[in-house]
Amino acid sequence: MIKFRFGAQGDLTAPVDDRLTVGDQRVVDFLAKVARKLLAPAVARRHPELGSLGYFLRPAELHRAIARMQRDDAITFPRGNVFHVPPANVDTIFVYSWALSALAGNHNVVRISERSATAADTILEALNEVLTDADPVIGRTQRMITYGRDDAITAALSRWCDLRVIWGGDTAVEAIRKHPLRPSARDLTFPDRTSWAALSADGWRAASPAARRDAVVGFSNDAYWFDQAACSSPRTIFLVGTDTGDVRAEFVELLLEVVDQRGWAVDAAMAVEKRVNAYGMAATGAISAMSFPANAVTEMSLTAVPDAPRRWIGAGAFPFAEVGSLLDLVPAMNRQDQTFSHFGFTPSQLREFALALGGRGVDRIVPFGQALTFGSIWDGYDLPHEFTRLTTIA
Amino acid sequence: MSVFTLPQAAKEAALVSQLSALTEHHRLACEPYARILAAAGFEKAETVADLPWLPVRLFKNLELKSIPDDEVFKVLTSSGTTGEVSKIYLDKHAAAEQTRRLGATVQTVLGPKRLPMLLVDTKAMLKDRRSFSARGAGVLGMSTFGRDHVWALDNDGQVDLDAIRGFLEKHGAQPFLIFGFTYLVWLHLYEVARDNGLDLSNGILIHSGGWKKLIDQAVSPSEFRERLAGVGLTNVHNYYGMVEQIGTVFLEGPSGGSLYCPDFADVVVRDPQTWRELPPGEPGLLEVLSTLPTSYPGHVLLTEDLGVVHGIDDGDWPGKRFSVLGRLPRAEARGCSDTYREAA
Repeated sequence: MIKFRFGAQGDLTAPVDDRLTVGDQRVVDFLAKVARKLLAPAVARRHPELGSLGYFLRPAELHRAIARMQRDDAITFPRGNVFHVPPANVDTIFVYSWALSALAGNHNVVRISERSATAADTILEALNEVLTDADPVIGRTQRMITYGRDDAITAALSRWCDLRVIWGGDTAVEAIRKHPLRPSARDLTFPDRTSWAALSADGWRAASPAARRDAVVGFSNDAYWFDQAACSSPRTIFLVGTDTGDVRAEFVELLLEVVDQRGWAVDAAMAVEKRVNAYGMAATGAISAMSFPANAVTEMSLTAVPDAPRRWIGAGAFPFAEVGSLLDLVPAMNRQDQTFSHFGFTPSQLREFALALGGRGVDRIVPFGQALTFGSIWDGYDLPHEFTRLTTIA
Repeated sequence: MSVFTLPQAAKEAALVSQLSALTEHHRLACEPYARILAAAGFEKAETVADLPWLPVRLFKNLELKSIPDDEVFKVLTSSGTTGEVSKIYLDKHAAAEQTRRLGATVQTVLGPKRLPMLLVDTKAMLKDRRSFSARGAGVLGMSTFGRDHVWALDNDGQVDLDAIRGFLEKHGAQPFLIFGFTYLVWLHLYEVARDNGLDLSNGILIHSGGWKKLIDQAVSPSEFRERLAGVGLTNVHNYYGMVEQIGTVFLEGPSGGSLYCPDFADVVVRDPQTWRELPPGEPGLLEVLSTLPTSYPGHVLLTEDLGVVHGIDDGDWPGKRFSVLGRLPRAEARGCSDTYREAA
């Protein structure tokens, strides 16, 4: 059973006469109105993560994305039909993925999870409110639906689309990939990722108390916003320098303070989950020490950098490891690694690190507080480019 | 002879030294366990509540044993809700000891002689490999304390009224044992006895398996007892136990409403925020302690069940009396990698 959440009801795969262009004004107008709704103070209070989304959809940002789609050496066109399968519980991803694709002029079908949370409902409400006054082409070309386990629907949409966008990790990618695409179509996949944080001990020591505090506030947003389970949520913290014990102690102390002030508590089930994971890592020797100064903060000492866990180990679980320099981390990084958030490094240290990685891992190197900020370059893909096709004239 | 004899102070004095010795034994014999104690910075316990506990789920993720491979006599498994399986390793001594202690515990209410036994279950269940480990092991374990076994359900899981009637005709005039899972007893014995006027007044019921299915039908533990008394079944003992502490069961006392700890076992209820022991009356996470796990480090376990201690040294038997209140839900994160659960 298909439940239509947005756009015109009816056969999703029937040919449509409407045509949108790259940067279509009707789409820009629509998205700009959605942005205004999401940036309304009442919405931002209830769902702070929608503020970032609203910001991303402002006209200035939209025009920046459109500019990225234009080229000197070719004419850009919409890719065609795009089928999006966003993750169930990171409520905002489906909008980023869809909005960029709509901006590129594509006809989109977005499968929204049955388990989507209240922020997703708020977004859909805003989209539908704006839709009533919008150009009807929007509703005819942009559809968002929910359906349960139904291979037939997934198969039909897979045959229909020119590009299939699969979020949600390795298992989702493998499950959806069982359904063949047309020969000319392809997948854009977002598999399981791991994200890290690094703290320069020298940079920390040189920073003012206010700057240290700001860094911890930014880090705690990155870590706690999605229960430390988003692809970009930092997990292990690398302390870069020598004798970094003082830095770690102060960092944890500030973190406990900030978490307490924000009221970020974890429930008993999460507390047990974290114990299970920490004890498990202790049993295998991956960590040599663990402490539980508060339920919301679990602190662990990694035995060695390669033991840093790549799976989710609970909300507010922080393994620490000390390394002499960022370059020491290079051998431990791989293709699975996405976001590397940092504090206290110089631009040249970060650039040297990125060059040493040589594209073998880490797609984003961002300051503390920006780990979750979506960008049109994501997971190493230039999304505006992925959502368009090129025609050359010679 | 009862195994419910020790007042709390005497029990704790005995347990703290026995369980501390077991902690040292496992520390030496089980390397992963030693690593956990080292990482947690554990040194010494002054009280029972100080003893270092392991989350019970660790036995699903890790191989934890304190015996060499060639001394493994039996590996017990439990099926978990997500398909994960606990593995519990017993050597000959531990296997014999758990049977002996389980026997001593149930004999407290059954007496020393083996009684005719009515099993409120189906024989077919023993053949179902999927459900065998949890339900089958319970039935098999308990069936050794009875004789002349009769199954109350046929191979299709339907009530076998003729079999029950036959059993009662033969054995109903003297004490007999009834064993089954709580919701099966409710569905297939209580209702059948009520509707058919069966006389169960000489029965001693031992039942287990959680209250969730009954609470879904709005049947509370006290109502369960009252309604069973209505069909003459007044000798009713619920118990709480788990494969990770095999041989140890916490048994409901004769007057009902509370589970009691045998002399070789105890419970601690912990506040899931501060992790400190909670006083009687305050519900929290249930920790179970037992001296039986000698072949694997399962002597102090934090369960994922919620419980409350009702009182100490103030009930049918000495020591703590408590109830299990339900299960802690499994933590779920909002994450990127979660489309797959419904991906098709």
